[in-house]
Amino acid sequence: MKICVDLEKCKLHGQCIIAAPDLFVFEADGSLHWIEQPEETQRQAALDAADVCPEQAIVIEG
Amino acid sequence: MMADGVLEAPYLNLDDPAFSIRSKAVRDAREHGWYARTPYGLAILRYSEVGELMRDQRLRQGSHKWPAHNKAAGMFADWWVRMLLNRIGDDHARLRRLANPAFSPKLIATLQPKFIGIANELIDAFGSAGHCEFMSAFSEPYATRVICALFNLPHDEWRELATNAAGMGLALGVTYKADEATVNNATGRLFDYSRALIAQRRRTPGDDFISLLVQANSDKDALSDEEMDDMVVLAVFGGIDTTRNQIGLAMGQFIEHPGQWRLLAQQPDLARAAVEEVMRTRPTTTWVTREALQDFTYNGLDIKQGTTLHLFAESAGTDPSVFKSGFDISEPRKQHYGFGGGTHHCLGHFIARGDMTEALKLLARRVVNPAYDGEPVWLPDSGNTGPVKMNIKFDPEL
Repeated sequence: MKICVDLEKCKLHGQCIIAAPDLFVFEADGSLHWIEQPEETQRQAALDAADVCPEQAIVIEG
Repeated sequence: MMADGVLEAPYLNLDDPAFSIRSKAVRDAREHGWYARTPYGLAILRYSEVGELMRDQRLRQGSHKWPAHNKAAGMFADWWVRMLLNRIGDDHARLRRLANPAFSPKLIATLQPKFIGIANELIDAFGSAGHCEFMSAFSEPYATRVICALFNLPHDEWRELATNAAGMGLALGVTYKADEATVNNATGRLFDYSRALIAQRRRTPGDDFISLLVQANSDKDALSDEEMDDMVVLAVFGGIDTTRNQIGLAMGQFIEHPGQWRLLAQQPDLARAAVEEVMRTRPTTTWVTREALQDFTYNGLDIKQGTTLHLFAESAGTDPSVFKSGFDISEPRKQHYGFGGGTHHCLGHFIARGDMTEALKLLARRVVNPAYDGEPVWLPDSGNTGPVKMNIKFDPEL
């Protein structure tokens, strides 16, 4: 499983951080950081983050 | 309270019922600089600054100050400070995670046939007459019945729900104080309705949002009784009043831009873009607020802890440094801020976008050559806005 974020679409709302706080975080400079290849046990959290993104900028591959 | 330079910024009196977010005063202020003074803190006027401050971590959602600013008391004000919009941090995240699945884009897509069915049924009732009062004939029943479909409520209850949502909605307008009794009575009735609904779902669970909340409520730490009641009231109120007003504003925009209505009728695939263009230029939520959690300097301006910022959605959405002027549904546009943004980005935006897309698609096809039939009656342009009444005439359907 791979988490892809289209940073052109991303508007840094931070909804993914609320939905999946173990996978997404804002860095001190305000940029988005995420775990690109999470464990399979995190699949639902990753899907929730993709689902909830207002800009639909997150795609889960594999 | 703020740096000396701020005293030279233009002043916008948001408390004046005659104040308009679309006035020359706001346009002039935006030309002058990126912010203006208001009775409570600052108004932020330009696209780039509104976008940045919308999600700046040094600010929190500012609506919790609303009762204090308006000397508001009673059931609405009590609910207002408790509900999701005014929660922060872990509490907010917990409640938001609970609510998210009920508003997911996948779920909303499955409701599309219902949106089409409701819209057609409503237009059937007035299409051949060639005239109607658009808010009561379409906007209000449509917005309300979409919520009925989403939460699996009996459709024949729509009128009571709509009346209570509209009553509560008066709280978000500039004439609030005069309407306080109406607002609180409507809030009380919606709480009664919500509690009865919760009790019913407890007896007979389904797979709808209310049942999901009831299930979560079996662990009071996950969702307390009060939080559950508050959430149901928010879901019903928030979904109905904003959409009702936004569809009315859409019809107004298209009546004033008839070429765009014809274009939409010819190219229904533009309906989604039409929703965005209406919300960019004529959002019902005219501003959202933020409050500074700390002292900080932004764009050379010192902002003190506790300062309220009003982020003007329409002013940002029509900022000439970013957007070509005019109302054009075929013009590619940057994202607007009609749904707010950041942590408190509108929870119901997928459903609002989905239901308004289907509504506009069908209206453009069936309500041909619409025009105002007398002057519409508008809510004040300060605070949440929209038509109160909008009589329209159009080519009768054969």
